[in-house]
Amino acid sequence: MRIKKYFLIVFFIILTNFSFAEEKNLQNEITKNLRCLICQGQSVYDSDSEFANSIKSLVDQKLKEGNSEKEIYEYLKVRYGDWILYDPEFSKNTYFLWLLPLLLFLFGGAIILKLFNIRKN
Amino acid sequence: MASLIGFYSLVLGVIISFIITFFSVKNFKEPIVFDKKIIHFSFLQFFLVLISFLGLIVSFVNSDFSNETVFNNSHTTKPLFYKITGTWGNHEGSLLLWLLVLTLFAVLFIIKSNKQPTRYRILTLLFQQLIILGFFIFVLKTSSPFNYIYPVPNEGLGLNPILQDPALAIHPPILYLGYVGSSIIFSSTLAAVVLNYISKEWASHIKDWVIISWIFLTLGILLGSIWAYYELGWGGFWFWDPVENVSLMPWLALTTLIHCILVLEKRLLLTSWVVILSISTFTLSMCGTFLVRSGILNSVHTFANDPERGLFILIFLFSLIFMSLFVFFFFYRENDKTDYSIFFLSKETSIIVNNWFMMYFLSVVLIGTTYPIFLEVISSEKISVGPPFYNKLIAPFLIPFLFFMAIGPKLKWVKSDLSDKIYLILFLIISLFLSIFIVQNFKIEFLLNTILITFAFYLFFITVRDFVSKKYKNLSQNLAHFGFSLFILSILFNNIFATEVITNLKVGDTFKTEKFNINFESLSQKNKQNYKSIVGKLIIENSKGSIEVMEPELRIYNQPNISTSEADIKTGFLNDKFMTINIVQNQEYFNVRYQIKPFMIWIWFSILLITSGGLISMLKKKYEN
Repeated sequence: MRIKKYFLIVFFIILTNFSFAEEKNLQNEITKNLRCLICQGQSVYDSDSEFANSIKSLVDQKLKEGNSEKEIYEYLKVRYGDWILYDPEFSKNTYFLWLLPLLLFLFGGAIILKLFNIRKN
Repeated sequence: MASLIGFYSLVLGVIISFIITFFSVKNFKEPIVFDKKIIHFSFLQFFLVLISFLGLIVSFVNSDFSNETVFNNSHTTKPLFYKITGTWGNHEGSLLLWLLVLTLFAVLFIIKSNKQPTRYRILTLLFQQLIILGFFIFVLKTSSPFNYIYPVPNEGLGLNPILQDPALAIHPPILYLGYVGSSIIFSSTLAAVVLNYISKEWASHIKDWVIISWIFLTLGILLGSIWAYYELGWGGFWFWDPVENVSLMPWLALTTLIHCILVLEKRLLLTSWVVILSISTFTLSMCGTFLVRSGILNSVHTFANDPERGLFILIFLFSLIFMSLFVFFFFYRENDKTDYSIFFLSKETSIIVNNWFMMYFLSVVLIGTTYPIFLEVISSEKISVGPPFYNKLIAPFLIPFLFFMAIGPKLKWVKSDLSDKIYLILFLIISLFLSIFIVQNFKIEFLLNTILITFAFYLFFITVRDFVSKKYKNLSQNLAHFGFSLFILSILFNNIFATEVITNLKVGDTFKTEKFNINFESLSQKNKQNYKSIVGKLIIENSKGSIEVMEPELRIYNQPNISTSEADIKTGFLNDKFMTINIVQNQEYFNVRYQIKPFMIWIWFSILLITSGGLISMLKKKYEN
């Protein structure tokens, strides 16, 4: 019974306070993934520098022209290099970056399995 | 004068270092009793570094610009509080603080280890002294805080305004207690390996040190995040910035260590793993120092670049790693008395699984942080690794991680069986429905979130039930895991349900959205001690008619001439309202950023809960003794 009461409380809190997730603004999503090249470790979205503002309006314009998210990244990459993208693409430069942690995870799993096998025998 | 005293006590400190080493080696050969001289000289060394540190503080307070460090980082119009905290707000001063904490921990170790074998104590202090000596040389050779300038300048260059902040004033000392605390874990582990003293007694003795370092490191990171949240003006608290990552890595290693040292304490298993983790914790702290101080990283934290400093730390770091490897391979012996049996369903297994995931998270952070550096060296191509990378690689793995966190603590040592399975399944179903109900969005990008919320709720309910029914075996563990579920839930809700408006307004304008209107009412100006303040008054009226007044501020500092944006934050139980304004160049408009961020305070609170879990486990042990 007690548990039910807690559930009700949680439900109530959530019901009264959430308006449901809005459509995220695509421009914000894109600029959050871009590095502000003249700032110290800030995204274009977070920065108010002139560079960031010009990129923001550029992204806005590209979206209005009907470009997709991917096309915009591609365009910026050609102009400013990979350095501007916070989400590194999966390419020959980044195979290790993306795969090494996963390989290490599998490797760890293998060690643990072996540990059990040794202990069994 | 104060600088001079500071400098000479540092030099004396180095001499004491050699004296301590001499007596320690002598004592180590004839370890009948612990030589009192070692104690006295260690205390003396600590006091000398303390005097040196105080000397630097006095120079800062008196604005003694004949001191180069003071000249570079202070200004006469700076408030007294920030003159003092400016002492460690720069490279040289913070290294002196680092040294102070190192010697402090050596003294604390002497006091707290009196029940331990004499040779083990001496050897630990010897290893610690080696690290201390390394840092002494580093400070004196490459980063002396007491360099003299002539002719004496009239005015200093000032402290970076974003560092003039109360949270950031105490962030470095707290963080360093955590970072440097791991040095004693490192030293004592090496000593224990050499003397073949890795045992249950050793585990319970070193556990306290692990937990203390962990508590301070957690609090230090928390303070940094809170600061970033209100000071950097974009409303985020974690950006996967390389320097943030650098503090997260030793934290992950310490958290792993806290868990697996329990297995060592109870079952004398995983000994070599504990040794490796202890060594890597301090190594990771040192790596962090290297990355931050060498200027390799592009980050908000970067201090002045100086290749010589980077090179010194790199050499020092490699010597320490080499020494640890040497000690490990030449002295480490597996204990033969160990009972090797591990059953599949047991607490040991669950902790091993925890370690497995923690190591994965650590490797993601480590590779994500260092890979771009290596790539640039090898192929001179620059890439950025930012939040999307970490989210993609970490979020999916949190799902099983949360599940094991809920189930693991229910298992007993050696061999176990899961009791009340019905509850475990029931809670999972309830969590699933609850999260579907909350997210109510079946687009593919929300699928991951829904499942994550499900498992976070699962952990939440299971820990809450254990509190309520008093079924927990271990209060500190239950509290920490409960805190973690709350942490994940708050972050997820904070991300999914945040509302934000970015717009350009001038005084008198009103910006309308469906739910609220923002009215830019007025601007006012004030002159403060070392900055000019421009405060905007914006009124937010939501559709229900309630009104909130927000007063974000712009500060224009005199020295250095930098403007900062101070957010106005209305913290509430369920959400934070966050507003910043920024000047738009050459226009009368202001860039206004308004965010409603749900459960913000719960993120901080949950971290405090996790920390108090650690605190309780330490205090509880004191009671039992």
